[in-house]
Amino acid sequence: MTKRYVLAEFEREGVILEAARALRGKGHEALDIHSPYPLHGTDEALGLKRSTVPLVALAAGVTGAVSGYLLQYGTVAFLWPLNVGNRPPHSAPAFIPVTFELGVLFAALAIFGGLLFAYFRFPRVHHPVFEVEAFRSASIDALWLSAEVDGAQVDGVAEELRRLGARQVSVVGEGTP
Amino acid sequence: MSTAIEKTEEMEAIDGPPVLVGRPDDRALTESLLAPVLGPTRKGWLMMVGALLCGVAFWIVSLVATLFIGIGVWGNNIPVAWAFDITNFVWWIGIGHAGTLISAILLLFQQKWRTSINRFAEAMTLFAVAMAGAYPVIHLGRPWLFWWLIPYPSTTQIWPNFKSALPWDVFAISTYATVSFLFWFLGLIPDLATARDAAKSRAQRIAYGILSFGWRGSARHWQHYRIGYLLLAGLSTPLVVSVHTIVSFDFAISQLPGWHTTIFPPYFVAGAIFSGFAMVMTLMIPARRLLGYQQVVTPRHLENMAKVMLATGLMVTYGYVMEHFVAWYSGSEGEAFAFLNRWTGDYKVIWYAQLLCNVLTPQIFWFKWARRSEVVLFVASILINIGMWAERFVIIAVSLTRDFVPSSWANYYPTWVDWGLLFGSISMFLFLFLLFLRFLPAIPIFEVKELKRELEHAGPAHPPAPSEVRP
Repeated sequence: MTKRYVLAEFEREGVILEAARALRGKGHEALDIHSPYPLHGTDEALGLKRSTVPLVALAAGVTGAVSGYLLQYGTVAFLWPLNVGNRPPHSAPAFIPVTFELGVLFAALAIFGGLLFAYFRFPRVHHPVFEVEAFRSASIDALWLSAEVDGAQVDGVAEELRRLGARQVSVVGEGTP
Repeated sequence: MSTAIEKTEEMEAIDGPPVLVGRPDDRALTESLLAPVLGPTRKGWLMMVGALLCGVAFWIVSLVATLFIGIGVWGNNIPVAWAFDITNFVWWIGIGHAGTLISAILLLFQQKWRTSINRFAEAMTLFAVAMAGAYPVIHLGRPWLFWWLIPYPSTTQIWPNFKSALPWDVFAISTYATVSFLFWFLGLIPDLATARDAAKSRAQRIAYGILSFGWRGSARHWQHYRIGYLLLAGLSTPLVVSVHTIVSFDFAISQLPGWHTTIFPPYFVAGAIFSGFAMVMTLMIPARRLLGYQQVVTPRHLENMAKVMLATGLMVTYGYVMEHFVAWYSGSEGEAFAFLNRWTGDYKVIWYAQLLCNVLTPQIFWFKWARRSEVVLFVASILINIGMWAERFVIIAVSLTRDFVPSSWANYYPTWVDWGLLFGSISMFLFLFLLFLRFLPAIPIFEVKELKRELEHAGPAHPPAPSEVRP
């Protein structure tokens, strides 16, 4: 069974969210909304779970800070205790700046890399939705709803979307122009 | 409709001018904001690039002289081992901080007016940090061994001394540069996708397509994106404070009169924001006119920035007063002399210039007409840039000329290489900025669209544009 995408262009925020809710009500879960700016209410309409990005950032930040501290302790106090101005080899206050910086660095790298490569699965410069030329408006001034459905359901979903107020509806599939 | 207009005027009287002029439809907004990026190259742009490349050439010549001959070509010598190089470094880093302040701290405080200028300010941060980062490296003397600063297991088994402020600097600056880049680029991705979709030629479409990583505005992505962006802002906020604090530790932790001051961290951070806002102003006033961004960068933005400059200018002034008070109150002869030397020593002209530019100039922003006059703002911003450079020079180099032992006193005079590195880096910075304005969307398009929705939600500040009236 080949999966195909039904793409529908909408004009108004309320209408597209309502359409997404209606399709989900009929059991279509593989839905997505494409918009030029973040829309309010999509999480609820698409039934998205709470983002786990903060947990990733926290874990990475803590890892960074701990490894930053251990790096300093290990090198300056343990591997080669260096006596500068007769300060103790393990000078906790002096280790704060690098600990903090590495915590921030790890967290930021995890957020950026995590978003792009794990959450978004980028780079993906080609995606079936780009097959539709009119889809270019999704980053300019229009809202698009995409539904990934089985080949047999395509016509029904397309008709449903038109009924729900779509301005135009197109169908694409992997390998289908 | 008439009541709406009356209300607008009333609101203007309270709130000041709007943050977004009119309510253009999304396509018109996209086209006008992308016009400088996707349109043909303009003659004026090429001429400015050509002129700046002369300065860049001067920079490269100075760098090559430094690398091939050594830092003896600078005016630095004992006792003034840190002079133009570190002054420029601190100055550029400080300039960079306003970008992070605008994009991160104002985002967290939900200051809507930041939306139109944040990308611009972040790009400024990035280029300023790049310029700053070059100075400590070339000041190493043997810059090709810069990686000795990084803790790695070497055969000598010697590690960086983490109890010194200088390795802190390495971590602070490299983290700051990295995080600034990530924050800036993450913000750019949706707009690069917009540039891809609005592109006029195939080459543009491919280039922006690759740069945007395939962004398709998916709600599943926006959800994580918004959280991630907000978290990066949250991380950048303490980061920016920590970076200039650590930069100030380079001085505050030493014993030299004029450097050994506990007020340095907050005073340096305030000075950084002060000079950074001045630089945003210097760049923004011509850019908004040349690129036609008046609709999204309004007098409201300029006025708010002027208020920030006034506030931070007063903080810096407080820093100057406290430095003097502590020098007197400490009862230390060396401290007292260091500050007397500022008023009466060989470099007093620079000190007076600093007071004129940093203390007196921002006072004009108490007046509304000054905050709304582009000419006044532009001239004042340039004076503040100069004043902040003078401040760093006075703190760093002038303090070094007169340390504890009079027999080791000596003055510092810059050479042509010092000047070349200063003016060359300014040219390089402006050159990078022009490239940015030409090839990347300088105004965050998706955020302006979002802002427009929020303003519409809050009530019609202006009668809707005809294009927006829908059946």
